[in-house]
Amino acid sequence: MAHPDTSIVSPDAPPVQRNWWVYLVLAAVCVINFLPYLWMVMTGFMDNATATGQSPQWVFTPSVEAFRFLIFEKGIMENFLNSLVVSLASTFFSVTFGMFCAYAIARYDFGGRDDVSFWVLTNRMMPPVAVLIPIFVTFQTMKLLDTLVGLIILYTAMQLPFVVWMLTGYFRDIPRRYEESAMVDGDTWFQAFRKVTLPLMAPSISATAIFVMILSWNEFAFATFLTSTEAKTLPPAIMAYSIGANISWNVLGAAVVLVTAPLILFVLVLQRQLISGLSQGVIRK
Amino acid sequence: MADLRVQNLVKRFGAFTAVGGVDIAVGDGEFVFLLGPSGCGKTTTLRMIAGLEMPTEGRIEIGGRNVTFLRPRHRNVGMVFQDYGLYRHMTVFGNIAYPLQVRGFSKAVLMDKVNAVARMMQIADVLDRKPDQLAAGQLQRVAIARMLVREADLFLMDEPMSHLDAQLRGLMRAELRHLQKKIGVTTIFVTHDQLEAMTMADRIIVMRDGRIVQVAPPLEIFERPADEFVATFVGEPQMNIMDAVITRSHHGVIADVGPFAVPLDRSWALANDLARREGRKVRLGIRPEHIDLRTTPDADHTIAAELYSFEPTGAENLYVLRAGDVEFTTRNSTTGTACIGKQDRASLAVRFDPKWIYLFDPEDGRTIAQAAATAADVRSAA
Repeated sequence: MAHPDTSIVSPDAPPVQRNWWVYLVLAAVCVINFLPYLWMVMTGFMDNATATGQSPQWVFTPSVEAFRFLIFEKGIMENFLNSLVVSLASTFFSVTFGMFCAYAIARYDFGGRDDVSFWVLTNRMMPPVAVLIPIFVTFQTMKLLDTLVGLIILYTAMQLPFVVWMLTGYFRDIPRRYEESAMVDGDTWFQAFRKVTLPLMAPSISATAIFVMILSWNEFAFATFLTSTEAKTLPPAIMAYSIGANISWNVLGAAVVLVTAPLILFVLVLQRQLISGLSQGVIRK
Repeated sequence: MADLRVQNLVKRFGAFTAVGGVDIAVGDGEFVFLLGPSGCGKTTTLRMIAGLEMPTEGRIEIGGRNVTFLRPRHRNVGMVFQDYGLYRHMTVFGNIAYPLQVRGFSKAVLMDKVNAVARMMQIADVLDRKPDQLAAGQLQRVAIARMLVREADLFLMDEPMSHLDAQLRGLMRAELRHLQKKIGVTTIFVTHDQLEAMTMADRIIVMRDGRIVQVAPPLEIFERPADEFVATFVGEPQMNIMDAVITRSHHGVIADVGPFAVPLDRSWALANDLARREGRKVRLGIRPEHIDLRTTPDADHTIAAELYSFEPTGAENLYVLRAGDVEFTTRNSTTGTACIGKQDRASLAVRFDPKWIYLFDPEDGRTIAQAAATAADVRSAA
């Protein structure tokens, strides 16, 4: 019965690919990304003479001269504290408000819903510089210039569109069934939201919060224009302390270490959470 | 435990009417099915009974209590959702205990109740697992356990078996039917699967386009359908429907289908006053099991047909036949059709059982004449 000419031979499995060049590219990307930062950190530990020297030096005696200058002479820890308060508070408020807003957009069908979500998104597209002067004048009138409260309000407003936009997608991924089920089981709407939806949203919310936190922590333009002595945050402080008549590179390097260290620690600690939060809805059962 | 009374329930979404005036009365302890194709408003009706949608018009009473606009938590109903609605961040125990926790039961009572219901649903050994570690059948059991754990007045089930495979579905059908009778709580079950409704229901409510078409016990739905839609929706394979004209011949009243004529039962034709419809178009319906097959024509098997497709299902053989441009399916036992041709285009002789012929109005689909064989049963039952 067997016809050799019609029998089907399954093709061999393709050989396992060893993409050595992928590692090459990755290594190149890592070096390109990391080298400037490494150089910045090294500069931070140089003394003034080495940092401003004509030829770059890879081997030098480390000194904490720049850190001492920043921390004890300029009191940069005060700016550090301002940054911390402003970014934590604005993250808290923008995520809290944004969460409810996103929930409403994701769950309820109301007139102009699509317009609202489009408007939220376009807010994000506006260049901040365009509103710098109006906001300065507004802050002046409302006596919010150089106050932490002013910055917190501003950053909350700035981050809201991003939070709403991110969380709307995540809320849509959580079936309404969960809340309905809880409501039939005897919960009020808010109880269902708090006990069922929020725990499911936790990874997504923390991922969004981390993003917002980083954006607020690094914000430079508004902080420079709206603060002077009382509420100056780290980014403008660095500028003020290291760049005068000429640039003190070692001070700049030390300041960069101070600004980025907490963020790097923060992200390293929460890495797992961040990744699982971002992949929510992508890898789902 | 309570009865359910729904009066003139209407739900509109903008210009679209999802449910257009539904009246339902369900007695205490009854197992009632809402059956219909997708988009017929059955799920919306159920959601309004649960309180997840607010009706546009109408009134809902559970146990004599007006709950029309009450929030779900004040209605005391238990519900199983299509995708179960289990909380994936809680264990099975947490899921089942949730409705009790919300109601503030003490820890000891809660443990007792959950364990009892878990034993009944045979899920006691998976109580500390998370839902994503369970198989579909177990998820189903957990969802039902969560509904059973509290003393609800009314149980609502929204296509709970649609994610199970055929075998499990068969098992669950028997179990659920048994459980419902044992616990005796009034239950409303929504499904588009006519087999589920036929096998489990005390009564079936057939819905179409937001309206109720027929309310009756399963057998009556099957044997005395209110219209052509119900007749074809219930039964698998579905009832054969063909256009016909009522005419008179020397044999009496016949239905002329075109390629062939179907003789009608004389007294049945008289009882239904078919002579009045002479020359008028009707839709003739006959279930596949009421068509008999032979290899050669004889006095009874007068209709010549050609085999279009042969479908053996094991216990039964389905013959899809064609006579001219009319196609119909027959269903007969495998032994009964053992020596009948199974090759494509084999020519066969067919007899339509005159006792089991239905006539429908071609305009509105209403049943003009129920099958003769069903009349006697219904009379004796009444």
